[in-house]
Amino acid sequence: MNAALIFGLLFGLMLTGMPISISLGLTVLAFLFTMTTVPITSVGLKLFTGLDNFGIMAIPFFILAGTFLTRGGVARRMIHFTTSLVSHWPGGLGLAGVASCAMFAAIAGSSVATVVAIGSILMPAMVEQGFPKRFGAGVISTSGALGILVPPSIILVLYGVSTNSSIGALFMAGIMPGVILAVMLAVVTWFIAWRNDYPRLPRASWSERFKAFREAIWGLMLVVIVLGGIYGGIFTPTEAAATAAVYAFFITVFVYKELKLTDVPKVLLNAASLSAMLLYIITNAVLFSFLMTSEQIPQAMAAWIVDRHLSLWMFLLVVNVILLMAGNVMDPSSILLIMAPILFPLATRIGVDPIHLGVLMAVNMEVGLCHPPVGLNLYVGSGIAKMGISEITIAVLPWLGAMLVFLAMVTYLPQMSLWLPHALGMH
Amino acid sequence: MFLRILDRLEEILIAGLMAAATLVIFISVVHRFGIGYRVLYPYLHDIHISWAQELAIYMLIWMAKFGAAYGVRTGIHVGVDVLINHLKPASRKLTILFGLFCGALFTAIVGTMGAKFVIGLYGTDQTTPDLEIPSWFVYLCIPLGSYLMCFRFLQVAWVFWKTDQLPHHDPGHVEGLPEDGHDKTLVGDHLQ
Repeated sequence: MNAALIFGLLFGLMLTGMPISISLGLTVLAFLFTMTTVPITSVGLKLFTGLDNFGIMAIPFFILAGTFLTRGGVARRMIHFTTSLVSHWPGGLGLAGVASCAMFAAIAGSSVATVVAIGSILMPAMVEQGFPKRFGAGVISTSGALGILVPPSIILVLYGVSTNSSIGALFMAGIMPGVILAVMLAVVTWFIAWRNDYPRLPRASWSERFKAFREAIWGLMLVVIVLGGIYGGIFTPTEAAATAAVYAFFITVFVYKELKLTDVPKVLLNAASLSAMLLYIITNAVLFSFLMTSEQIPQAMAAWIVDRHLSLWMFLLVVNVILLMAGNVMDPSSILLIMAPILFPLATRIGVDPIHLGVLMAVNMEVGLCHPPVGLNLYVGSGIAKMGISEITIAVLPWLGAMLVFLAMVTYLPQMSLWLPHALGMH
Repeated sequence: MFLRILDRLEEILIAGLMAAATLVIFISVVHRFGIGYRVLYPYLHDIHISWAQELAIYMLIWMAKFGAAYGVRTGIHVGVDVLINHLKPASRKLTILFGLFCGALFTAIVGTMGAKFVIGLYGTDQTTPDLEIPSWFVYLCIPLGSYLMCFRFLQVAWVFWKTDQLPHHDPGHVEGLPEDGHDKTLVGDHLQ
C-alpha cells in the first residue's frame, strides 16, 4: 500500500517535467511529513552524509577527465590510429568508428561524451568519403553506448556506490562484455557495408600505422593508468579518477596543445555543473532509498517473489523488462540510482551475483540510450549528423537489434561478466 | 548588477572547488608514491596529508550544492519531458511553472532544515574528524546552497512567465570541437 503511494506520487511529480532529483526529494518529504514517525531532521543530515563518501567522488573526477578528453584532440588521434588499421576493410571507417568508440570508452566514463568526441569528427568524414549519412549516424550513436560498459564507467561507479559493491570488480566485469559488444557491433557494421558495397579506403602502410599509434599513445596510456592502477592496488577508483583528470589536463594542454590554459576554467565549469547535477540526483536518491528501507519495501517485494517461487530465469526477464521500460522515460543515472537499491536486495535474495546485476543494469541503460523518446545518444547523434530524430531512430535499428541479442547474452550468461573478476581474484 | 556579481561568484566558486579537490587528491597520491622512495622519504615523511581525503570530499560537497543552483540557471537538471511535450501550450506552461515552484518549495524546505541544523551545531564545539574544523561551518553549504537554488528556481520561473523561455542545456554541444565537423586531417596522411 505504502509502496503504491510512494511510487504513484513519484511518477506523478516526474511527469510534470520537474527535475527528477526534485521529484525524488519532494516524494520523500511529503511522505515523511504525513505518514511516518521518522524524525524529519534526520533528512537534513542525510543531504550531507549521503555524499560524504569517498567512492562517490570518483564521479566528478571521471567527468572532469572526460571533459578534458572530449575537447583535447585525444579522440582525433585515436580515430587516426584505428582508421590506419582497419579502413581498407568493407565499411572501414565504420569499423574504425566502433573501435574508436571502444577505445574512447576505455578512457572516459560516459556515453554522450563518447558520441560527441568520436562522432563530431568521424561522422562528417564518413559522409565525405561517400558513406550514407544514416550509416555513420547509426554506427556512432550505438557504439558510443560502450562508454558506460567499458571501464571506467560512471554508471558502474553509481551502481557500486549505491549497493556497496566493489567498483574495481565492477570495472573488471565490464571489460569482457564490452569487448564482445564491440565485436558484435563491428560485425553488423561490416555486414551492412559489405552488402551495400560501401567505399573502402587505401590500406595504410605499417610505418603510417606506427606513427598514428605513437601519436595516440598518450591517450591510450590512460587505460593503463586507470585499470592498471586500480587492479594493481596502487590506488582506489577515486584516486585513479583524480589522477586521470590531472593526466588528461596535462596531455591536452601541454602535449597535444589543443587546449589553451585560458580554456581550462570553462572545462572546469562544464565538468563541475555536470557533476553537481549528478551528485544532486544522488543526494535525493539516497533520501529515497532511505525511505524505501525504512518502509521495508524491498524486503516486502523480496518476500513476494520468494512466495511466488519465481525462478531466476523469470526474475531476470522481469528485471530486464522493467529496466527497458524505465529507459523509455528516464535518463540512465536516475534509473540506476532509483532501481539499484530496490533490485539489489531482491537479486541477492534470489541468488543473482551483485556484480552480474551491475553489468546487466549497465547494458540495459545502453539500450535505453539508443532508442527514443529519451535516448540521449540519439539526440546527440542527430545534432552532430544534422538528421531528424525519427530518421536516426531507423538508422540505428540494425545495431540496436545486435544490442538486444547482446543483452540476452549478458542476462543469461553471468560467466561473461564474472569470469574476469573471478580470474583476477577480485570477486 | 548584483545578479551579475552573484553569477560570476557562483561560477568561480564551483570551478575553483572542482580544480582544488582534484589537485588535493592528486597531490596526496603523489605524496604516497614519493614516500616509497628512499631519496624522497626524509623530505616527505614529516608532511602529513591524511586529511586530504576529507578536505576533497567537503570541497566537492560544497561544489555539488552550489553547482546544483548553477544547474538550475543553466537548465542542466534532467526531467521527464515525454508527457508535457504533448500538452497544449497553455497547460504546458502551467505544468512547467508548477514544476518550478515545486523545486523552489523543496529547496526552501531543505534550506530551512539545514539552517536549523547548522544553528543547532553552532553552539557546540563539534569538529570534523581529520581537519578539525567546526562542523557547523562544513554543513553551512546545505542552507546556503539550497536557498540559492530556491532563488534560482524562482528566477527561472519569473523569466519563463514573462518570456516563455527556459534555460536549455545541450549535451551534444562541446565548445572547441568543429561545429560543422569539417576536419580533413582525420583520415590520415595516407589518404591525401
